[in-house]
Amino acid sequence: MQAEGPIKTFSLQTDKFLDNQLRERLSKKPFSKSSIAIRTCGLLLIFLTIYAFISFDYKDVNFIDALLLTLDNLGKMFFEPHLKHFSFSHALFQVLVTLGLAFLTTIFGAIIALLLGLLAAENISSKPLSVVIKGTVALIRAVPTVLWVLIFAVAAGLGSVAAVIGMTFHSISYLVKAYSESFEELDKGAIEALQASGANWWQIVFQAVIPSSITYMVSWTFLRFEINFAVAVAMGAAAGAGGIGFDMFMASGFYFDLREIGAITYFILIVAICLEIFATRIKKKLKVLS
Amino acid sequence: MTTLLEVKNVSKQFGKDTKALSNVTFSVKEGEFVSVIGPSGAGKSTLLRCINRMVDASSGEIIFDDAYVHQLNKKELKKVRTKIGMIFQHYNLVNRLSVIENTLHGRLGYKSTLAGALGLYSEDEKLQAARILQILGLEEQIYKRSDQLSGGQKQRVGIARALIQDPKLLLCDEPIASLDPNSSKIIMDHLRNICTSMGITVVVNLHQVDVALKYSDRIIGVNSGKVVFDGTAKSITSNDIHQIYGSDEGKLIFDLGGSHVS
Ligand SMILES: Nc1ncnc2c1ncn2[C@@H]1O[C@H](COP(=O)(O)OP(=O)(O)OP(=O)(O)O)[C@@H](O)[C@H]1O
Ligand SMILES: [Mg+2]
Repeated sequence: MQAEGPIKTFSLQTDKFLDNQLRERLSKKPFSKSSIAIRTCGLLLIFLTIYAFISFDYKDVNFIDALLLTLDNLGKMFFEPHLKHFSFSHALFQVLVTLGLAFLTTIFGAIIALLLGLLAAENISSKPLSVVIKGTVALIRAVPTVLWVLIFAVAAGLGSVAAVIGMTFHSISYLVKAYSESFEELDKGAIEALQASGANWWQIVFQAVIPSSITYMVSWTFLRFEINFAVAVAMGAAAGAGGIGFDMFMASGFYFDLREIGAITYFILIVAICLEIFATRIKKKLKVLS
Repeated sequence: MTTLLEVKNVSKQFGKDTKALSNVTFSVKEGEFVSVIGPSGAGKSTLLRCINRMVDASSGEIIFDDAYVHQLNKKELKKVRTKIGMIFQHYNLVNRLSVIENTLHGRLGYKSTLAGALGLYSEDEKLQAARILQILGLEEQIYKRSDQLSGGQKQRVGIARALIQDPKLLLCDEPIASLDPNSSKIIMDHLRNICTSMGITVVVNLHQVDVALKYSDRIIGVNSGKVVFDGTAKSITSNDIHQIYGSDEGKLIFDLGGSHVS
């Protein structure tokens, strides 16, 4: 470091002249490339939004009327829910079916992803193998779950089999990434120490790698379970995989019963909230342990 | 005394032009306490790692306890490694596991894959672990998680993990580089004690010349991948030390006088 003249002493009095000088300096914030890019993007988006709203073909829809009607529909859905075409116990059972689908695909996915994740983690596997697995998995992940289900439906027919295979497929790719990244968090030292004492690969994996990353693995798996629950609802409707999603599809597309849709939405909401509470509890427990 | 370890003409090349070791030759007798000293980047860690083949030497021979280490296959190498304990600067424990679990990791090399992976240790092994931990003054901490320990305590767990291997040789790569003087002394005293009373040979990389002189029977000085000094701690002169570190007379902080023990 170069000395820049004598060191200034700190005085508590404020100096008007100096302050103004400093204000001027502060106002001269340099334009960086990224700030220009962000501003341009923002302006562009605002412009596009306005343009889109102006250029929409509104036909004869009156905005106020449409808004009121929508609100009315929402009111019917959520304030006057009822079950007409199926019973409460039927709905409950169907929610369980959907949960089952989510559970099954998450468990299948987790088991296979554990193995592949170990092979994809650079610090316990080899670099080429890791690159191959990570690349493949990234490709699989890029295609949405729903599409995978439809792809497998070609061979298995639209239904629960395609849903299970397709959802498992995507879960694997998601969890392999999550797991392998948590494995790679583990520092090389601990692995090296066990290698130096003559331990073999499986022993190192189970005694050092997994114990060190178990909290991450549990959180990721649970997150995937929540995702799979949402997907399973959609699969019931889109792929005929059964469960509450199918009832929802029937209520909306077949019976046009808004109130029933409202009731089913509440069902799904309650389950989702329960899952969330459960997940938070588990994570807290793991945190206490860690 | 018999020779436990022989390193003959060992060279190690990293990539194209980094020659970490060139023609290193020395031998270590059973029960000896040897310090390897030398400037940063001299190749001390590489030398130590070549001995248990954590790093594969480019050429040369390593003979440990009558085994030609450089020729062993994977399985034989694992067996030899169980007889060589290793201690690290950063302790290299599994932080989330308890002290005793970390200690028992030293037994993995002796166990079947399944028993090791599941962590099924015999009563004897657990008792042995507790005994070693007690000798090292960690009996209160047995079930504590390792990341709750101080640096000095972690290093003692590292020593315990190496000792439960029932090793013939301990390799220590800068065991006290991250510790305060007090904990450093405790660790070095334990290492010296292990060597003297248990008859385990110790080879230790050190940055502190005075510590090396105080605790070792023999000093090996390394500079730029070559052994430039090999002799007893008593016979080393300040001139030798300057040669090892490639520095001018009077520019190093160390004290030869009165630092010899034993
Ligand atoms: N894995 C590696 N890949 C490439 N070069 C390496 C590797 N390990 C060590 N080297 C090089 O080999 C030389 C010796 O390194 P080494 O770590 O053995 O030195 P050291 O004496 O232990 O140094 P320090 O006292 O700083 O620990 C250095 O030039 C280093 O850059
Ligand atoms: Mg080193």
